[in-house]
Amino acid sequence: MFVQIKNLKYQYSKSAKAVIDNFSLSIKKGEIVSILGESGSGKSTLLRLLVGLEMPSSGSISINENIIVDRHHFVQPEKRGIGIVFQDYALFPHMTVTKNIKYGLKKMSKMEKQKRVDEMLSLISLTEYQNRYPYELSGGQQQRVALARALAPAPSLLLFDEPFSNLDAHLQIKIRSELREILKHTNTTSIFVTHDQTDAVALADRIILLENGIVGNELLPSELESSNYMLKYRTGLRI
Amino acid sequence: MRLIQQAKQKLNIWVLLSSVFILIILLPTMLVAKHFFAEPNENWLHIKEYLLLDILSNTLVLIILTGVLTTIIGVSLAWVVTAYQFPLRNFLKWALILPLAIPPFIGAYTYQGILDYTGIIQSTLRNAFDIHVDQKYFDIMNIGGAVFIFTMFLFPYMYVITRSFLANQSASIIENARILGGGSVGTFFRIVLPISRTAIIGGVSIIALEVINDYGVVKYFGIQTFITAIFQTWSGMSDLESAFKLAGTLMVVVILLLLFEKFARGRKRYSYSSTKIKPITPKRLTGYKATMATTYCLAVFSFAFMIPFIQLVLWTFMTYEKIVTVEFFALIKNSFFVAAISSILIVIVAVIISNYTRIYQGIYTKVIAKITVLGYSIPGAVIAISVITIFVGLDKYLMSIFSYFQMDPIIVFRTSIVMLITAYVIRFLTVGYNSIEAGFEKIGNSFTEASRSLGVSTVKTFFKVDIPMLKGAIFGGFILVFIDILKELPLTMLLQPFNFFTLATKAFRYANDEMVNEAASASLIIILISGICIFFFHKISEKGSGQ
Ligand SMILES: Nc1ncnc2c1ncn2[C@@H]1O[C@H](COP(=O)(O)OP(=O)(O)O)[C@@H](O)[C@H]1O
Ligand SMILES: [Mg+2]
Repeated sequence: MFVQIKNLKYQYSKSAKAVIDNFSLSIKKGEIVSILGESGSGKSTLLRLLVGLEMPSSGSISINENIIVDRHHFVQPEKRGIGIVFQDYALFPHMTVTKNIKYGLKKMSKMEKQKRVDEMLSLISLTEYQNRYPYELSGGQQQRVALARALAPAPSLLLFDEPFSNLDAHLQIKIRSELREILKHTNTTSIFVTHDQTDAVALADRIILLENGIVGNELLPSELESSNYMLKYRTGLRI
Repeated sequence: MRLIQQAKQKLNIWVLLSSVFILIILLPTMLVAKHFFAEPNENWLHIKEYLLLDILSNTLVLIILTGVLTTIIGVSLAWVVTAYQFPLRNFLKWALILPLAIPPFIGAYTYQGILDYTGIIQSTLRNAFDIHVDQKYFDIMNIGGAVFIFTMFLFPYMYVITRSFLANQSASIIENARILGGGSVGTFFRIVLPISRTAIIGGVSIIALEVINDYGVVKYFGIQTFITAIFQTWSGMSDLESAFKLAGTLMVVVILLLLFEKFARGRKRYSYSSTKIKPITPKRLTGYKATMATTYCLAVFSFAFMIPFIQLVLWTFMTYEKIVTVEFFALIKNSFFVAAISSILIVIVAVIISNYTRIYQGIYTKVIAKITVLGYSIPGAVIAISVITIFVGLDKYLMSIFSYFQMDPIIVFRTSIVMLITAYVIRFLTVGYNSIEAGFEKIGNSFTEASRSLGVSTVKTFFKVDIPMLKGAIFGGFILVFIDILKELPLTMLLQPFNFFTLATKAFRYANDEMVNEAASASLIIILISGICIFFFHKISEKGSGQ
């Protein structure tokens, strides 16, 4: 398996209960996995553990047979090669679109960097916006720049935290299919977390249900529609 | 194993630098504590028996009276300006901050100059009306006078804090009070004062710390306090032990004050929730009520700024030919130089510590943040005597090294400007830290995290992302520290190298030598620069917070 997460456990110092408890998951190279859970179920925390912004209290993570966290190892975020697209994008406001995308590129000549940026810009169809600043872009465009920035260094694993929650409904539908195409085209292994099951169904190869930091059922997108979970989830929302 | 791993993760450039800085900040306090618990000498026993009670009661009287008066004036002004619309309100709203530009010691000698026998009031009475008055009616060189001076030039702290607090309060509280009846005065005492409690306690403790720290006013008025006693024992009697004992006792007072603040504030923190609140809409006053509001604000503004300011301008015209010489420009250069260097250092240290306390969380980080914030509560004179002691020790150590190699000492710290700058950094780090910390809080962690996830180290992230985004807060912090240093007196008096003066110490020297008119030029420059900075700083920060 390309990504191996084993028995991950995490507890915020202030809280009494573990947010992530005994979480295990394996992902194949190029697979798109969606983690579906209600707000507060620990989705963002899980992603922070994967990126290295928090340190798990136990468990291990390895990517491509390299251990990045276990009892004896902790690889710093900047050394992990895991990309993330945050919920609020976190585009650097003082840099143009080009500068943002170029930011994570290292060990490349100037020409190579520019070539990579051009590739990314055409991938997200924003070539003519390259010299704009983030605040001069619409929400959907910002989201695409955030994707391009994370994708540019060719991360071994790409994470998305509720990538569509800040977008209008009609944009969501359009961008979902775009995103799946781009990820499949670049064969990028990805995890994206969401509370919206239509997102999960539209994007993922496989869906993991997260309840209170514990893996619940695992489903294929086609199964979700008919599952009990759907019913429970919908009634849950109505209340 | 896990411990080592955690330690390894936690050990990095940020921890190391922050720890070193914190140690430097803590040195004075540790030194004071060490001497405080040491065997007392005879002089100290004498001070304890005959002086300490006076010192303590003077200090407490000054703190309490100033605290009460600044609260009444500051909160009432904040309330009038927030809740009512009246002629000149928009001008006065800003103008009432300006008294902060006048250091209390300058206010003290200016008022003394206005009121004394040859001053403008008495000479006008004599020459125009032939009225000769008893001098005792014009004597402000006593505790009452000092309280008046402190109140006039420190109340803006209360005003600013309460005003921004009230501006963040929901209109409904006030409207309900109005609907329930009760006049304006009733609303003020029953509603405004109680809900502003946290803001008031914050303001009082800042003002009390300023009063405790003061040397200029009490020295000029001849009131014995901890600071004047420290000056006497240190410079007058060269009695290091007693100076440290006094400093230690003063630190106990400071700590009690901080504890009082903590408990009085309680656990209740009025959070600035992001939910939209409907701000108070000022009610338009008409007729005599409008006149009263304008008169009240104008009166305070006149006493706290306009009158002393005009007097200083007049004195400057009278004396500038004699005063404004090549030497005077050297004085300005000195002042700006030490203030600028120290402010830059402070901003750098503050950025490093706040970046550390932001990225890494935990108990150690919390302690570091707390200590950084406490620095400002150590009075300047206390920092000064500790820093001298440390540098004298360093010099001795260096001397012994040099003499071992039979060389002449190249540097002597004790008499150098390095000592002064070090002390400034310790004293004013808090001011810079608060500003930069607020800046970090505003931008949040996600940009830094995004940068690290893109494979960029914390150090590189710091220069490429954090610093550019923090520009505003860094600049704001620099300005605040700069004007604080420009106005600083006690610490500078004790530490300035031989033949080195700043605008503040020169002005005080003149005033103390009965050359009040000559002190005006230097004072005016301090006031103009501070005034401009304060005005723009508050204007910009108010805009930034979207009011
Ligand atoms: N910094 C923190 N300190 C303490 N508790 C936290 C912190 N961040 C999140 N939590 C708690 O952890 C749980 C999971 O949060 P999170 O991972 O953000 O959930 P989700 O992203 O699924 O909405 C929540 O109950 C939240 O209150
Ligand atoms: Mg979340």
